[in-house]
Formats: sequence, structure tokens, C-alpha cells
Amino acid sequence: MKHRIRTTLALAGCVAVLAACSTEDPDAAPAGGGAEGEVRTGTGVTADTITVGMLTDLSGPFAAGAAVQVTETQAYYDQVNTEGGICGRDVEVDVQDHGYDPQKAVALYRSMASNVVALQQVLGGPTSAAVLPLAEADGLYLGGHGWAGVALQYENAQIPGTTYSIESANAIDYLVDELGLAPGSKVGVVYFVGDYGSDSLAGAQHAAQQRGLEIVPQEITPRDTDLTAQASALQQAGVSAVILGAAPAQLASLAGVLAAQGLNVPLFGNTPTFGPSLLATPAGPALEQNFYTVTSIAPFSLDQPGVQAARDLYEAAAPDGETGWEVPLAYAQAELLTTALRGACDAGDLTPEGVVAAMRKTTGLDTEGLYATPLDFTDAAQPPTRTVYVSRASGQAEGGLEVLGTFEGPSAQSYPVG
Amino acid sequence: MSYFLTQLANGLSYGLILGLIAVGFVIVFTSTGVLNFAHGSVLLTGAYLVAVLQGPVGFWAAVVVGIAGAALLGVLINAVLVRNLAEANPGTAAILMLGVDILLLTELTRRIGNRVLPIGAPWGADVVAIGGVTLPTSRAIAAGLAVVVFGLLWFLFARTGTGVAMRAAAADGDTASLMGIRLSRTGAAGWALAGALAAIAGVFLASFPAPGVGPALAISAFAAIPAWVLGGFDSVVGAIVGGLIIGVVTALAVGYESHLHFLGRGLGEVVPYAVMILVLLVRPSGLFGRAEAVRV
Repeated sequence: MKHRIRTTLALAGCVAVLAACSTEDPDAAPAGGGAEGEVRTGTGVTADTITVGMLTDLSGPFAAGAAVQVTETQAYYDQVNTEGGICGRDVEVDVQDHGYDPQKAVALYRSMASNVVALQQVLGGPTSAAVLPLAEADGLYLGGHGWAGVALQYENAQIPGTTYSIESANAIDYLVDELGLAPGSKVGVVYFVGDYGSDSLAGAQHAAQQRGLEIVPQEITPRDTDLTAQASALQQAGVSAVILGAAPAQLASLAGVLAAQGLNVPLFGNTPTFGPSLLATPAGPALEQNFYTVTSIAPFSLDQPGVQAARDLYEAAAPDGETGWEVPLAYAQAELLTTALRGACDAGDLTPEGVVAAMRKTTGLDTEGLYATPLDFTDAAQPPTRTVYVSRASGQAEGGLEVLGTFEGPSAQSYPVG
Repeated sequence: MSYFLTQLANGLSYGLILGLIAVGFVIVFTSTGVLNFAHGSVLLTGAYLVAVLQGPVGFWAAVVVGIAGAALLGVLINAVLVRNLAEANPGTAAILMLGVDILLLTELTRRIGNRVLPIGAPWGADVVAIGGVTLPTSRAIAAGLAVVVFGLLWFLFARTGTGVAMRAAAADGDTASLMGIRLSRTGAAGWALAGALAAIAGVFLASFPAPGVGPALAISAFAAIPAWVLGGFDSVVGAIVGGLIIGVVTALAVGYESHLHFLGRGLGEVVPYAVMILVLLVRPSGLFGRAEAVRV
């Protein structure tokens, strides 16, 4: 008898827990049509709060940069809230850690999707690739997923700048038009296989064909941190420049080895290749001599009002925090979603679908220097801009990068995305 | 020709570093019967200690602490976890080690983040050029040091009481135990030695031409697994030869990839395992392995 009572109690407890975890938000107005002023609302929006989700990596390989983005994003919405919020509501950020594990990201997405109006960020290539199709099926906005060209096939994804392919096409154009690379020259491309590096290679190959250059590809993995053999092979092939679609560890090794071999050629990197801590490694002098980066997001040190606002916010929120391109990026991503949320509010439809629709109406968006040109998100199959910032590594500049200027080359314009 | 020699020298020096790691796998296996999949994170722990301490206490003192720390970590893993296993089953111990690896690696990744910690070695980014062959100074030193370490290991195993006890315990634990050899001591000595070797390898794997200490370092230790296996699970000489073979083959595969492109790109990643499988097809116990050694 005692046992039966205990079993019944345990069962009752389970039912209570399940009920508490039910995906229905009791505070949410019915999705079909709330009478919240004139604005329709759905999941993640109550009478006084808008909840947005962040699936990020706080324990895996990108933890440090991801934490910078979380700090900046939270500071951004705190500021939005003190200025009156969006649509008369405060914005809350629900941050969850997927640890760069796609399985975990999908599980977290499942538990989060019914409580948020949009996903401010799903950090990482494999993690966002796992979540994107699910979010598309749910009609949920997804941003902050990096710059892989494959994201352009999703109506609900807001790519935070141009693609890796167009970055690399611009790098080739810059080499030819600004650094005087002669036709027939060879350009090495050292890249991670996958959404990121392979996209970078595709852009470089397109541009090389347009400009009469030859590409020497070298495939690597994130495990390779000693690129001596690759550097020797590039030297043997007689390359006059190198493009790198990899991570900071590979950049430091490649730059150091190429310089040690006496091969002081321009070395271009996609946005994620650079981290300011590299300048303190033995490769620092080689980087300052040879390294350029092509990014659609402005580097930390750029003297423009949008970037200044991002810096001020970050320095107030984390006075001793690490500086880098993640700061303007997180600010810009929050601004992109805020624009969509405000647009959805104005259109009277603050449901997840309404946010996606408003995002797709965003055109001519001026980010005051966070991006090099105004952004246009009306066509999901096209990147919002094809212009990049070209910067050089510099120990003097905050965040380690000094901006040379903006650039958009003919091969970047003609690159067929998608 | 100088291109070939450069790649060869590069492969040999890398192979000797792999040998240091592979010997650690062998010693742990022969002394306690454990397939030590936590070896990579022990290596990373040693290198991490060197990187964080070289600023305050200087490089050489940091290296001593790093080596001692990694050796101590090995001894602790053995004392706390391995010796407490209910039954000494290689499969259970291997899975336990995978768990230890994940725990250590997660904590180190959290500490390192996406920074690259400079190892602060005095040889920096220097290179040595002999004839037309250029080699990073760190690699030349690593190769020389590895040879010295292997010489010391030979002396230890052939000429000292501890070494002979370790060999006896490895050859036949039960009999050795009856002869008065304390298996707990030989086991602890094996783990300490493996940890120290891993830390030395870690310092060189994090030196130029690699940028410094990052979480990926733990995974690069796994490149020594094919060397360990093809040398024969239980042979120190086999592990060294295996390391050299894998190092040279990898360097040549990457260096001559453009001539081998009918095999596809990214050859350097696959080639060590292809060589390992080929060797095992011809010699199922590896190059120097005893036929009865347990294989998983």
C-alpha cells in the first residue's frame, strides 16, 4: 500500500513537471489574432515583453568570441529598453549554450522555439546548418549565423553581411586592382572543407577565372595547426598571394612559416581568420607585414558613428573585455533584428512570421559605418551588400586591425551566389 | 631536390615529436593495460601550464612545472580512476579514459577560449638553413631532444632497476608481482613517464610553426595513434619508428599533393590511416608488436 502511494505521488509529480514544461505560453496572446492594441502577437511576445533567443557557444571552441557577442547583445537591448523598448515592450534575451554541438543545438532549438519571437543568433557553421531548416519550417527569424553562402536559400535567415565567396572574390580583385598582381599569377587558397572554406574557395576560383589568375588549392582541417608542408607546397608552386579560409591558429602558422621561408606575399583572410591575440605570437611581425582581411562587418577600430556606438556600449558593459570584430558584429546583428521587430510592430504583425516578413522589407538600411554600404534584404537569394572593408593587421589599432578602405571589385559584383 | 629534402626533414622532425607521444601510449598500455585516450588532454594540460606560467616565472621554469604537472596528472588518473576499476578490462578502461578526456578538454577549452596562448619559447620563429634545406629551429631542437630522450628511455629500461621492473611487469604482471615487483609502483611510474613525454611533445607542437597553445592541440595528439598502432601496441621502438613513418609520409603527401591530385585533396589527413591499415594487413601485430598483445 505504501508503495502504491509512493508510485502515485511520483506519477503525480511527473505530470506536474510535464505540465510546467508544456510548450504553450500561458501569457501569450492567441496566435490567430490578439487584441493587443492593433498588433497581432504570437510566440515570444506578451503584453510587456518580447523574448528573442540566442543559441551560442559558451563552452566550446568559440566560447571567448561568443561571450563578447552575448555581452554586447545584452547591452544593446538594455539600452533599447531604457529608451522605451520596442512596440511598448521590453526585449529579453534568452541565452542558451550549445557548445558547438549540432545535436545539442537542435534540442535547445526545440525547447526554445515556442518561447521566442526570433533567434538573434545561432553561432557556428554546423550548428546553424542543423537549426536553419527547422527554423524555416517554423517560419522563425534566424540571424547571426555567419556568412556561408548556403544560408541564402533560406527565406527566414538574415545573413549579417556578404558571403565568404564574395569576400574572397573581392580579395582577388583587390590583389589585381590595388596591389598590381600580374595576369597569369598563381594564388594559393588554404581552406577548411565545408560551408565556410569551400564557399571561400568558390569565390576565389570565380574571380581568378575572371581576372586571368590560377588558383592553387590546399585543403586543411581545424586540427592542422602546423602548416609547414602546405606553405612549402605553395612556395614550390610559385604563388604570388594566398587567401585563407580558416581560423586564427592556421593564420598564425601560415603567416609565420611563409615569412620564415622568405615568401613575403600578401596573405588575405576571410572574417573569422583573424583574432587580435595572434599579434602576441611569434607570427605577429609576419602578420603586420603581410596580412590583409576582407570583411563586410567593420573592424573594431573604424572611426564611424555606428562602430563608435558599438565600442562605447561594449566598453561600458565590459571595461576589461576582449576587443575584436565581434563587438561591431553583435551590435549590427542586434540592430538588424531590432529593425525587423520595429517594422513588424509598425505593420501590426508581431508574430514570428510578421518579423520575417518585416525583415524581407528592409531596404536601404544605413548602419552608420557598421557595414560599408546600405543593406538590402528584399531578395533572400542575394546578399544584402557586396562591398567589404579591407584592413591590415596592426599592433597599434584597437582590435588589431587598421582599415584601409572599402572595396567592391568586378568579380565580386558578378559572382553568381546560390 | 632541396624541396624534397626540406619536406623530408620536416617530416622526420614532426615524426620524432609524434614518437614522443606514441611512446607515452605504449608505456601506459604496457604498464597498466590501458588504452589511454586521455593522452591528448594530458598533453594539452602540460602545454597550457607552460603557456600561462612562462610570463610570470620564465620559459624554462614553466617547462619544468608543465612536465611535472602533466606527469602528476597522469599519476592521479591512474591512482584515482584506473586502479579503482572493479575488473581490469581494456574496454572499460578505454571508455573511462574517453570520459576523462572530455572532462579535461572541456575545462581547458573553457579556460583558453578562442585565444591562442604563446608558448614563449626562446627560439621564437627562427629557422635554420643547412644547404638548401630550411627547418624551423624549434623543430631542429625537438628532433635533437627527442633522440636524447629516446636514449635516456633505453638507459632506463635496460640499465636501471625501475626500468627492468617496468619491463618485467609489462611482460608478465602476475609473475612479476610474485617476484616482489609492486605493480602499483610500476604503473605509477609508467603514467608519470607518459605524462612527462606528452608535455615535452606539447611544448614543441605549440612552438613555431604552430602559433601557440589552443584546444586543437589535444586533437593533434591523436595523430600519434596510427604511429602507435602500426608500430605494434606494446613496442617502444615500434612507436618511434611508427612516428617517423607517419611524419614523413604525411609531409610528403601534403608536399606533393599537386602531383597526386587524382587521389583528391586533403590527402595529409587520410594518409596516416591508409599506411596504418596497409601495415596491419601485412603484419597484423604491427611492425614490432608481440603477437599476443591485446588489440581492440
